[in-house]
Amino acid sequence: MVLNMTEGPVKKPVNGNGCCRTSNGVKPGMNGCVKNHLYQQHSYCSSDEKSSHICHNGGIYKRPFKESFEETPMLVAVLTYMGYGILTLFGYLRDFLREWKIEKCHNATEREEQKDFVPLYQDFENFYTRNLYMRIRDSWNRPICSVPGAKFDILERVSYDYNWTFKYTGRIVNDVINMGSYNYLGFAENSGVCADAAAEMTLKYGVGVCSTRREIGNLDKHEELEKLVAKFLGVEASMAFGMGFATNSMNIPALVGKGCLILSDELNHASLVLGARLSGATIRVFKHNNMQSLEKLLKDAIVHGQPRTHRPWKKILILVEGIYSMEGSIVHLPDIIALKKKYKAYLYLDEAHSIGALGPTGRGVVEYFGLDPRDVDIMMGTFTKSFGAAGGYIGGTKELVDYLRTHSHSAVYATSMSPPVVEQIITSMKCIMGEDGTTLGQERVQQLAENTRYFRRKLQEMGFIIYGNDDSPVVPMMLYMPAKIGAFGREMLKRNIGVVVVGFPATPIIESRARFCVSAAHTKEMLDTALNVINEVGDLLQLKYSRHRLVPLLDRPFDETTYEENED
Amino acid sequence: MGLRSAWKQMSWLYYQYLLITALYMLEPWERTVFNSLLISVAGMAVYTGYVFMPQHIMAILHY
Repeated sequence: MVLNMTEGPVKKPVNGNGCCRTSNGVKPGMNGCVKNHLYQQHSYCSSDEKSSHICHNGGIYKRPFKESFEETPMLVAVLTYMGYGILTLFGYLRDFLREWKIEKCHNATEREEQKDFVPLYQDFENFYTRNLYMRIRDSWNRPICSVPGAKFDILERVSYDYNWTFKYTGRIVNDVINMGSYNYLGFAENSGVCADAAAEMTLKYGVGVCSTRREIGNLDKHEELEKLVAKFLGVEASMAFGMGFATNSMNIPALVGKGCLILSDELNHASLVLGARLSGATIRVFKHNNMQSLEKLLKDAIVHGQPRTHRPWKKILILVEGIYSMEGSIVHLPDIIALKKKYKAYLYLDEAHSIGALGPTGRGVVEYFGLDPRDVDIMMGTFTKSFGAAGGYIGGTKELVDYLRTHSHSAVYATSMSPPVVEQIITSMKCIMGEDGTTLGQERVQQLAENTRYFRRKLQEMGFIIYGNDDSPVVPMMLYMPAKIGAFGREMLKRNIGVVVVGFPATPIIESRARFCVSAAHTKEMLDTALNVINEVGDLLQLKYSRHRLVPLLDRPFDETTYEENED
Repeated sequence: MGLRSAWKQMSWLYYQYLLITALYMLEPWERTVFNSLLISVAGMAVYTGYVFMPQHIMAILHY
């Protein structure tokens, strides 16, 4: 095998392609390689803070799996709690003023005549919304007036009563670099092959279908789409639904019911949680991506059975996601498949963010690990992220899909997908697979992988705390303090970069973050501009909390004189 | 010129103070309330220290 040592940060080999290996299976020139060759099997490199680990479990991981979740610095945690404490005190003060009518109350209250009835608006539950969220509300729900590609236009808003109401100034902010859309492969565009095909389909079929799949809304385009999705994933058959959220929440109840057990990851998406609760099965939660916790739960389930009767469970279903969008972590799929086979459970994999974004040809997290798609019982995904359309799919064996066609609520009651959307998915999927005769799809997948590695590497070098796996295009950057959430969003917009900031309740209370989504549509210049601005704002707001300084990658061959890459 | 850079530095430090204590998110009158409370408590602490420090030091030396 040729050893290619001169890898710069942008020219890295793509996921799984042309991976260079030394004789003991370790990739040279990558992070933490010096520590690696001392450990062989089942090792988790633990630094003092347990911040990053590399799995080499006896060879089921064919490439280094590096993820890091650096611990919150103690001082930052204390200051964050102090900030929230001050905001809570002022929240109580403002509520008191509102209660005693010293100040005008902007949020919803009941009318005078209804004061003696059962209260409609639970006042205390909305404490957080009224007093914390409202103050920095201008970072969310920003109205976009162009296609959300690599750059977009925003309508400028201004508020004179501290974000309770907004007025539009009439000005449009042009060419804001988009670091927030789930546009991983850049298919959100209003010109090009996909858009033309979708427009043609609108002229042929119209836009509305006006019926459900069971009744008279089953177009030949839907059948074509389902065959194409099955071919793309490598499964026997698949079924497409009009809405990604509804795919999860309406199909899990069709698959499991009372007397079944659902083992779901701690940080699963709301659609999975809703579907699990609607099904009526028993739900047990295992720690995020923690295989020991999952194995313990599986063992307990098999040994003890159902809670009071100790009968065996009818079905055990493991619910995981491919990429968790708030953490940027990738599921430990080889471990889960090994566990599933050992304990005879079923696996439901939600590839909403990972389909099209991982793997050498964009087939998702199964291809990223080099596993067999038939090992995953139910492969679910959405078309919203990488394909630039809307909707979701479920793929699996033919029996499963035939069963879902008759028993799923979404298939029976929901209106089917709109024809231009179907055409957009078909065209973009053919482009990714290379069936339209060009290499555009493959180029985009590789561009996304390069952009991801480059962006993450640069941010870590600058000194920010970045969560997640090195290959995931979702990049969460920690902000921690509540005032910095609002300040970051506003300062970035002032400098023409649009970002998504997330706080409680989507994340734990002190771990608020800014979430960047890298796209194949971003050129290197755009990424460099964005990185310079993030560096500037990071210095202004003092966001560089990381205590691990990464040495910039070497451009000389790796040998014994190479020092540790992580300086602590 | 030295004065302007000192002013910029003070302004940046005040901005950091606003961010850390989350006063950045509060309205101007709330900031005034908090700042005056903080300054009055700090002032009282300094005054108490100034008044009682000689007595405390004498007590410690006496032991």
